[in-house]
Amino acid sequence: MKEFRTHLMVCGGTGCVSNNAFKIKEALEREIKKLDLEDEVLVVMTGCNGFCAQGPIMVVQPDGVFYQMLTEKDIPHLVEEHLLKGRPVKKLMYTPSEKKKPIPKMSDIGFFSKQRLIALRNRGLVDPEKIDEYIAREGYKALAKALTLMSPEEIIKEIKDSGLRGRGGAGFPTGRKWELARNAPGEQKYIVCNADEGDPGAFMDRSVIEADPHSVLEGMIIGARAIGTFHGFIYIRNEYPLALERLIKAIEQAREYGLLGEKIFGSDFDFDITVHRGAGAFVCGEETALMACIEGRVGRPRPRPPYPAEKGLWGKPTNINNVETWANIPLIILRGSKWFSEIGTQTSKGTKVFSLVGKINNTGLLEVPMGITLREIIYDIGGGIPGGKRFKAVQTGGPSGGCIPAELIDLHVDYEELTKVGSMMGSGGMVVMDETTCMVDVAKYFITFCMDESCGQCTPCREGIERMLDILTEICEGKGKEGDIELLEELAYAIVDGSLCGLGGTASNPVLTTIRYFRDEYEAHIKEKRCPAHVCKALIQYFIDEEKCNGCGLCLKQCPVDAVIGELKEPHSIDQAKCSKCGICYESCKFEAVRVE
Amino acid sequence: MVNLKIDGQKIEVEEGTTILKAASELSIEIPTLCYHPALEPYQACRVCVVEMVQNGRSKLVASCGRVVEEGMVVKTDSERAKRARRLFVELLLARAPASELLQDLARKVGIEVSRFKTKKEDEKCILCGLCVRVCNDVMKIGAIGFANRGAKIEVTPPFKEFSKVCTTCGACAFVCPTGAIKLEEITENKVTPLLSEFDEGLEKRPCIYIPFPQAVPNKPVIDRENCMYFKTGNCKICETVCQPKAILYDQEDTIIEEDIGAIVVATGYDLMDISQIGEYGGGRFKDVIDALTFERYLAPAGPTSGKVIRPSDGKVPREVAFVSCAGSRDPEHGVAYCSRLCCMYLIKQAMLYKHAVHDGQAYIFYIDIRSNGKGYEEFVQRAKEEDNVIYIRGKVSKIAEDNGKLRLWGVDTLTGEQIELNADMVVTANAMLPSTGVKELASKLRIPTDSHGWLQEAHLKLRPMETLTNGIFIAGAAQSPKDITDSVAQASGAAAKVLALFSQDYILGNPVIAYVDEEICAGCGTCETICEYTAVEVDPLRNVAVVNEALCEGCGACAGACPSGAMQHKNFTKKQLFDMVEIATEKY
Repeated sequence: MKEFRTHLMVCGGTGCVSNNAFKIKEALEREIKKLDLEDEVLVVMTGCNGFCAQGPIMVVQPDGVFYQMLTEKDIPHLVEEHLLKGRPVKKLMYTPSEKKKPIPKMSDIGFFSKQRLIALRNRGLVDPEKIDEYIAREGYKALAKALTLMSPEEIIKEIKDSGLRGRGGAGFPTGRKWELARNAPGEQKYIVCNADEGDPGAFMDRSVIEADPHSVLEGMIIGARAIGTFHGFIYIRNEYPLALERLIKAIEQAREYGLLGEKIFGSDFDFDITVHRGAGAFVCGEETALMACIEGRVGRPRPRPPYPAEKGLWGKPTNINNVETWANIPLIILRGSKWFSEIGTQTSKGTKVFSLVGKINNTGLLEVPMGITLREIIYDIGGGIPGGKRFKAVQTGGPSGGCIPAELIDLHVDYEELTKVGSMMGSGGMVVMDETTCMVDVAKYFITFCMDESCGQCTPCREGIERMLDILTEICEGKGKEGDIELLEELAYAIVDGSLCGLGGTASNPVLTTIRYFRDEYEAHIKEKRCPAHVCKALIQYFIDEEKCNGCGLCLKQCPVDAVIGELKEPHSIDQAKCSKCGICYESCKFEAVRVE
Repeated sequence: MVNLKIDGQKIEVEEGTTILKAASELSIEIPTLCYHPALEPYQACRVCVVEMVQNGRSKLVASCGRVVEEGMVVKTDSERAKRARRLFVELLLARAPASELLQDLARKVGIEVSRFKTKKEDEKCILCGLCVRVCNDVMKIGAIGFANRGAKIEVTPPFKEFSKVCTTCGACAFVCPTGAIKLEEITENKVTPLLSEFDEGLEKRPCIYIPFPQAVPNKPVIDRENCMYFKTGNCKICETVCQPKAILYDQEDTIIEEDIGAIVVATGYDLMDISQIGEYGGGRFKDVIDALTFERYLAPAGPTSGKVIRPSDGKVPREVAFVSCAGSRDPEHGVAYCSRLCCMYLIKQAMLYKHAVHDGQAYIFYIDIRSNGKGYEEFVQRAKEEDNVIYIRGKVSKIAEDNGKLRLWGVDTLTGEQIELNADMVVTANAMLPSTGVKELASKLRIPTDSHGWLQEAHLKLRPMETLTNGIFIAGAAQSPKDITDSVAQASGAAAKVLALFSQDYILGNPVIAYVDEEICAGCGTCETICEYTAVEVDPLRNVAVVNEALCEGCGACAGACPSGAMQHKNFTKKQLFDMVEIATEKY
């Protein structure tokens, strides 16, 4: 392998790619060629770096200098300054909002310093499309160990001892799952990797596959060996074209290297993987619906038992794990269960990948040890709430999770703690909300999502969720009645209790948690016909404070429905009959003269 | 075997049994909507939820699909189960408020009105998926399916277009618990329902059915021509739902051979089809029906539960005209004979009509009233006096439809005036005809029929229940139109004749029968061919004709035909005949 003095690691995750990362890469290469640095500097397109908010991102190695929000225009200057003259460009570095001084090194940035990478161990460090780079970073070493030095029982024991639990959301101990599948009678068995990530605002699985597809493959091959199967499936949603492309490339490369196919590593073990593309239904992430899709049937769940470990794909014992779970396996095998189980809390071991989105400064992907507090995630890693607004709640676990209020910000994040407060780990989505978020509106949003995504099979989920939405809509429109909260609760509990699958079983969580922690907001909507967060349009009105308004006319000019009236340099007013409550006047006023009530 | 407890009662059931089945063995009723024994449990309506306690943890499960496990404790009526069930029924009621099944179930669980917004007032579909599953999983057709998902899900043919693949088998409508499926809305193929023969086509019948309530044996039969299993190899729903496992598709018709000593032929009769009576509309007018069809309307257990309605619009007819001799006593257009019982049954029907429709008016058109049985004439009088039936003497010449009513023309032969009458409905007493197939039967049995096709008696006055063939008797309308009284009398007579035959150890035959002079017989077989009674056979070994004395009627045909003179008539040999002739002509 040729050696270079400097590597430019350009982030090639979906976030950065959609911000022209490919063009940045081309520009870099062009500039390097121009300055005749081709033999010294190598540009590498890596997987998702995680700090998506600042994309496109580039890290200069081995210096570890972090550049952000790059544009094509910046490149000539950057290459000349940093690579030729050795002077890092300060204005392209990350500067936290509360500080003035830029932080040059990636490891010093708060967003990265608190993270602990296991599943994402190779992110930003390897080119995901090159198997050699993965191998260079101890890739497939765990597989070699598992195939040559360990018996299947020993592999399962190792995983069991590590305390690894399913990262798909439910948190079932992975080792026990494997054992059930291994002990299930039958010659033909299957393993499946669930990459049908559908939660709004969640992109953990996508980033893992985009950044390091081989880690997933290696995990699966080890799992296949432990369970005793020679065929695996990866069910990936078709909305992830980049992940899909890299996955297929990775499989081809693995086959070429003899890591997939017949007689892997010269042993008598055969295993291959088929990629199955999903056609865009949230419910297909549910394991029984997912299996139905692979079998070529409509993606609708079926009741369990029988569990997939007894009767899965085509009636054969099947083991299904999430992308992140599979990605954890190689490192556990390589470093041992003891190393892994030392990370995390009593019941939840290891790390968890979260996607941090919503009203937060540092939107992005992070991997943190279990047991970290919400405060650390939101303030230390996430950099707090933009615009100096007050943190109100965080939704974890996607649409099936719950809203955790600001009071519980010191909560230690693990499976049990999250369930205790009415939410769940889920696949790891975290949506942060500030004071301008109406909790009834949030519940309505997630319930709408669940209604659209329900398969429509069972009564509680199909009818119940729609009726909840009816009630929530009425509350938001100011038509809420006494007893609505109680009826919502009655519905929510019955849906949880009586639904056929996990989607219905958890769909009520956003409603239940918002009622539990923000009952006063519901009551304000119903009794006082008031939306405290000024979100529900039917319940708010915009006014112009005559004393503060100096008649600049900005709001008048911007109002799309001509509801603002008044002479220049005279205080304006709003024609309530015309006002569509879009809020443009409120946002445009420089004198804080527009009020919401 | 698995032991479990349901509502405090212990029960032992086979492995693999569902909670629902186990509960039904204890006579514990759990409501279900999406469950059908012929289909895999769907577990979607969730109305059958019960609380299950296992390993100290309790949860709600759908009893229709959940298989029992050792030590399981099930509570079908715990507060938690009842609360969930009630809410699910309430949710479904909001979805399908027009479903009567759901309304009943709602009342049963204590719901009067659903608290939730109803989506569509006339909706009946509860999305239980039975239709879709039966079409796909059982019939293997796939003419309907679910479209969309979540709250927008609906049952429809693929791409919401009329489906050609639909075989109109009707399984979807059959399993639909709420009547939401209309076959016409699914397919553009012609829907031809099977009509009940017994109910004169007034009602549909399935492919497996008991032909009529008093059928002997009172067991269902499969209509093989229309049964989907025999047509396509799929379905078998009847087999899955039949608990005693009595359905056998491989059963074949068997031919039973028995040696018997006597036969009573009782074929019954047919009615002349109304299409043959052109002047009465020939079947074009829906409200002109024959008396047998009207009988089904009058029957309390019939398709209308005894309610008299017009076939055309379902309205109650206020004026009904009964027309006798439709085809009878009409050698020009129908049959020459009198059908004998119409006079009396029309009276009965007119009276029953009056009892059903109190303010209605019945008219009877007649040529003569033939009420010559015991109590018959009094019955006629009662109809006239008590039920105010109006008798019009005269034959109806023509019936026409006029503005939703029927107009009858005829002559009142008592006054000689032409009459016109408007009626809502006309009931015709069609001529009785020999049963179809009687001709073939008669030729098989070698018994004669008369010019109309009725079976011929041996002697009209002296031997009315016998035929010319020994040991074969006739009874009822096989001989001629006959009412129940006469049929019973004749049948009893025929039975008595058979008993008389059987009471002796030997049959006293006619001594005047054929015999063969084996010395002369050449075994040519002429006699065998000519014998109408199969009484002569040629013995293949000895090559001579042999007479079966029990069958020989002594007609003499064989003796006349025998070319060698070997076949002779006992006591009527050539010599005896010539001697007789000689003595008789001695004086001359």
